[in-house]
Amino acid sequence: MPTVELSHISKSFGPVKAMDDVSFSIEKGELFGLLGPNGAGKTTSLRVMLDIFKPESGSVVILGGPMSESKKDRIGYMPEERGLYQDIPLDRCLAYLGSLKGLSPGDVKQRAAGYLERFDLAAFKTKKVKELSKGMQQKAQIIATLLHQPELLIVDEPFGGLDPLNTQMVRDLLLEQHQQGVTIILCSHQMHQVEELCDRIVLIDHGRVMLYGVLDDIRRQFSGHSVTVRTGDTIPALKGVERIESVNGTVKLHLLPGTAPQEVLRNLVAQNINLEQFEISMPTLDEIFIRVVQGKGKEA
Amino acid sequence: MKKLWHVAWHEYHRHVFTRRFVLAGLLSVPLVILVMVGLIFLVISLDSNTTPLGYVDHSGLLADPLSAPAPEWPDKLVPLLSFETEAAARSALDTGQIQAYYLLPVDYLSSGHLSVFHLGEFKSPARSQFYSFLTVNLLSNTDPLIATRLVKGAEIIVQSPDGSRSISSKNWFNVVLPMIAGIAFIIAMFSTGGYLMHAVVEEKENRTMEVIMTSVSPNQFMAGKIIGDTAVGLTQIVLWLVFIVLPILLLRNTISLLSGIQIAPQTLLLVMFVMFPVFIMVSAVMAAIGATVSEAREGQQMVGMISLPVWIPYMLTGQLMSNPNSPLAIGLSLFPLTAPLTMLMRDGLTILPAWQIALSSAIQVVSAVGAIWLAGRAFRLGMLRYGKRLKWRDVFAKN
Repeated sequence: MPTVELSHISKSFGPVKAMDDVSFSIEKGELFGLLGPNGAGKTTSLRVMLDIFKPESGSVVILGGPMSESKKDRIGYMPEERGLYQDIPLDRCLAYLGSLKGLSPGDVKQRAAGYLERFDLAAFKTKKVKELSKGMQQKAQIIATLLHQPELLIVDEPFGGLDPLNTQMVRDLLLEQHQQGVTIILCSHQMHQVEELCDRIVLIDHGRVMLYGVLDDIRRQFSGHSVTVRTGDTIPALKGVERIESVNGTVKLHLLPGTAPQEVLRNLVAQNINLEQFEISMPTLDEIFIRVVQGKGKEA
Repeated sequence: MKKLWHVAWHEYHRHVFTRRFVLAGLLSVPLVILVMVGLIFLVISLDSNTTPLGYVDHSGLLADPLSAPAPEWPDKLVPLLSFETEAAARSALDTGQIQAYYLLPVDYLSSGHLSVFHLGEFKSPARSQFYSFLTVNLLSNTDPLIATRLVKGAEIIVQSPDGSRSISSKNWFNVVLPMIAGIAFIIAMFSTGGYLMHAVVEEKENRTMEVIMTSVSPNQFMAGKIIGDTAVGLTQIVLWLVFIVLPILLLRNTISLLSGIQIAPQTLLLVMFVMFPVFIMVSAVMAAIGATVSEAREGQQMVGMISLPVWIPYMLTGQLMSNPNSPLAIGLSLFPLTAPLTMLMRDGLTILPAWQIALSSAIQVVSAVGAIWLAGRAFRLGMLRYGKRLKWRDVFAKN
């Protein structure tokens, strides 16, 4: 049974349709990417998932059924709009947020100490939250999300505002949680992070699911539009090749629609070109994202 | 339910254990009272001229005088000097040795006429002390008990038919006291309600809402905040009482005005069953305002609209005092926002019928429950509208 399942969800805000018949599911223990341009309906999807917003139609199953108060203690949510109490010391802020997740003061103290140490915030725990830097507050927010050891972790732009060192730290933390069997929904604009971390993704645009499935399958689905060739010879004009581009000692051949890479390979061999490398280019998630969002993709 | 108490404690802790609460919340009212009382005593003190007062007695009444009773605090004793002749008294007046002198003519005992001579302003404390001195000596041959009674004057005690309440010129303070208590209560109610409104606006502004909403239900969260806020208000009121009641207890033997202060059990009933629910209702309404507005300043303007009806009874003091059982007074006693002050003012002036207390209490409890519901709903609808105001018609809309 999936940990989260959205079925045919629609949600509007006045004339704006934020979610239009959105369906996807997330399996237990999966690290799932939720992608989309700004205003695509990602945050609305998360809020509907968490029962903050009620959908007009469709259903949500989370941790085996509809959302309940007791399930809230099993979910860790870090919204894109960060929120910590600014006028109280960091340790008290964490203690309060932990207590709302059902933790005892002793547990909060013990777990917070470990995370504060790990995130280099131990020396700042008695400081008021507003006195911490933006990056520190970001790390504090991550601690607050993880304190109660959730089964389902939903993180919206977790790398925003972090320097490369802390980005790596958060990345490692997500992988560690993933290895421990925690189901993670990662909502991010940083495509390379999603590409490296997630097994499956859903891409939403204008409130509709544009892409959904295993990341490798999606990339394969979008591959074949170009091939990378390494050779000492000059490549002549080839049938079915739209454009030839030199990239770092290799040559990238952009194919016309309907041209198969095998056909190009046959032509190259026929023209006695000595090939050192012939590779079908796999598009990056960035490229897929741009292609889909610019209307070149097809709806899933 | 446990989370509700965590929210309540958090709310209480973050407001009470702050410098702002100690300075503005706790010390403000006692300080204002202290300053006011201090000013009154300063005026009395400045008004008291302790320069001796002279008298020339040709009637023989004061040949071997009994001394005058000591003046009541804060009045100061004015020494009385006897002069043989009017010329000597006049000379003393001219040199400033005395502030005035009385002349009792030979026929004073039969005519009752006397004259007073002064150059500048001649104020009451010295005058009343001289009259006490005269009265004591006029009654020197009378039974001491009767003499004392005459010197002290009449005390008319107005008593309720059931004997439970009484008022006299000596404990008039009991009429004013409930009104003062009502005003202090309203100040506490709005100041702590203000904390709650600011807290909700702040949670919207600093985006804490979304995290909170995935941890606790809106109703539990709102109820916890209202409980915490009410506890902040009660702390404030209890500490004000300590600040105010302690000096009263310490000074009641010194200041006769304070010795007659009574707190009737009925007043405590009013506090429990009328004022307490109104406190909760106002807190909930303030929280609802916080949930609907986008910034604290905007909320402050709406608070003004709610606080205005609360002060209506104060503006109608004259009508309420002259007829505390009029339909207007009864109506104001039942209406949620005007009930606390009206009930307390009437409590000092009349015997409130039990049915009025019961009905008012029921209305306030229902209003408080309704306000909590409203706050929960406004909170749920308005919490994620960052930078946008929630329309009240959306709060009441059926969805």
